[in-house]
Amino acid sequence: MHDMLEAFRLVAAPDVLVAIMASAVYGLVVGSLPGLSATMATALLVPVTFYLSPIAAIATIITASAMAIFSGDIPGCLLRIPGTPASAAYTDEAYAMTRKGQAELALGAGLWFSAIGGIVGTISLVVMAPLLAEMALSFSTYEYFWLAFLGLMCATLVARSSPVKAVASMLLGLLFACIGMENPAGTPRFVFGITDLLGGIEPIPALVGVFAVSEVMRAMVTPEPPKLPDRKFGSILAGQWGLTKKYQWPMWRGNIIGIIIGVLPGAGADMAAWVSYAMSKKWSKTPELFGTGHVEGLVEAGASNNASLASGWVPALLFGIPGDTITAIAIGVLYMKGLNPGPTLFTERASSMYALYIIFVLANIIMIPLGIAMIRLAAKILRAPRASVMPVIILLCAVGAFATGANLFSVFLVGVFGCVGYVMERNGYPVAALVLGIVMGSMVEQNFITSLIKSDGNPLPFIERPVSAVLASLTFGALLWPVGAWVVARLQRRRPASA
Amino acid sequence: MQLSDRITGLFLAGLGLAAAWGGSRLPAVPGQDVGPAAFPMLIGGGLVICGVMIAFGIGHSFEVPEEEGERHSTAYGLRALVPPGLLLFYTLAVDRLGFMLTAAVIVATAAFALGARPKLALPLAIGAPILVHAIFAKLLRVPLADGILPAFW
Repeated sequence: MHDMLEAFRLVAAPDVLVAIMASAVYGLVVGSLPGLSATMATALLVPVTFYLSPIAAIATIITASAMAIFSGDIPGCLLRIPGTPASAAYTDEAYAMTRKGQAELALGAGLWFSAIGGIVGTISLVVMAPLLAEMALSFSTYEYFWLAFLGLMCATLVARSSPVKAVASMLLGLLFACIGMENPAGTPRFVFGITDLLGGIEPIPALVGVFAVSEVMRAMVTPEPPKLPDRKFGSILAGQWGLTKKYQWPMWRGNIIGIIIGVLPGAGADMAAWVSYAMSKKWSKTPELFGTGHVEGLVEAGASNNASLASGWVPALLFGIPGDTITAIAIGVLYMKGLNPGPTLFTERASSMYALYIIFVLANIIMIPLGIAMIRLAAKILRAPRASVMPVIILLCAVGAFATGANLFSVFLVGVFGCVGYVMERNGYPVAALVLGIVMGSMVEQNFITSLIKSDGNPLPFIERPVSAVLASLTFGALLWPVGAWVVARLQRRRPASA
Repeated sequence: MQLSDRITGLFLAGLGLAAAWGGSRLPAVPGQDVGPAAFPMLIGGGLVICGVMIAFGIGHSFEVPEEEGERHSTAYGLRALVPPGLLLFYTLAVDRLGFMLTAAVIVATAAFALGARPKLALPLAIGAPILVHAIFAKLLRVPLADGILPAFW
């Protein structure tokens, strides 16, 4: 009880409340601009969190990401351009509703069910995390090694790209993480005589580069999206309670699927939305209406992507393994603020954990009034030309990277990672896997080397303990899946040819 | 910059070989069998295998075909290098020119590259650096360089 009261006191601090409000507005604006994803919104916030108290820093990440995921629905609905990849699954459906004159209903459903999904996801975090934390206390380096490795493998499994390229991206990220002196012997590794590399590659310049700079680079060579016609909106929340009662089951299914996908390391809100939309169509009584402007898919997928956001924090807080790219960034902030992820976080820093839960609930509640205001403002913001937004983003990338360590080399690194991200995306290499590799590299190596030293080079202890054996088999399953799928595809292609 | 899978795959395989070779030359920890070499060698090996698989087109069938956008000339494609070029300019010029001037040049160049007219680009180039300086230098105490044109506050 004392911890709970302390948590309320922490959240009620003026700097935390200001941080929540400011990041809410920021998240809503950035998420609503086509091409600027929730991940990019979060990555650009990290340098600012450097100067905030630990709770205010976490509050900005939670609030901005939740708002950005919702407001990504706005340009999707009005322009058929999803603001974030998480909205892409149901953009066509929402746009079809707009063409039928139901823009208010579509946007209202996005807002209402995002808020419900966020709150249900938070409840799952509150219930699941402490239970898993008790179990995690008995984990040794072997289990941590397999968990981290499995997290990396899951990121490659869910990538909508070639799994081999996803594994290669992840390995490239791990290779970047090898740079510097942070290794078992403290030996300078792959620094090529550059003193700035001795401290290693910080995740922040890498994140800002691959997510933000590469987006500006893409904007340089792609045509400007169409302008939004000026239009007044009617009541946004009218009819949402009716939809909640009518589509109760799809809503709960969306929430549960979102939670499950969020907990899986590496799979995030966009995956949750795609799976939920597909499930909604499969189980609907009126699947023929999907694609014609039917709200059912929006209810389920809208709830799902926000539910996954909160549950994605479960592996992040417990094991330091990101549930998605946003929590990958959040882990960096947690370490930076001395809230090192791990099961002991729930016992030693219980008040901070409760504060985190309160922030989640608060963010999802204020999402409704702020979201309504945002929808009404959307017509104006979406009319801002790209030439006025992108130059400011490139400036923020430079200043943000510099702010992390007052070091100009970080700004240079942002440019390098921008090029790396741009070339990788153009050639089908998922950059999210690269980022997970960079964020988790030192953790994977540390647990791997410690385990090898403990076992005297013997690989058997890696699979002797029951939990590590299960985790190892899951990891190898994920690792060998691309090869298996390729063999099956080859066999299937050969069969009709021979028939 | 779209390259064939053969080129990117072989590049990754080469990088993997270099990483494994570079790793193998790292000094060992006295009295320990495993040291700083183990992890880079493992990753290098993995990259070689992945690179060869990509070069042979394994896994290509899983890729979502990229939307056919407008075809541009190489010169137009080079516009993508404007943002990293501007970041490089920032690292080289900010200490001498100061934040305000450098930021104004960056914003104006990026806006013109994106097709902005002077009546948008110029006010943006004046307003954005002042706003960013106010947030980062004034509120967050980031030591942004003054150079030849310090902020007026």
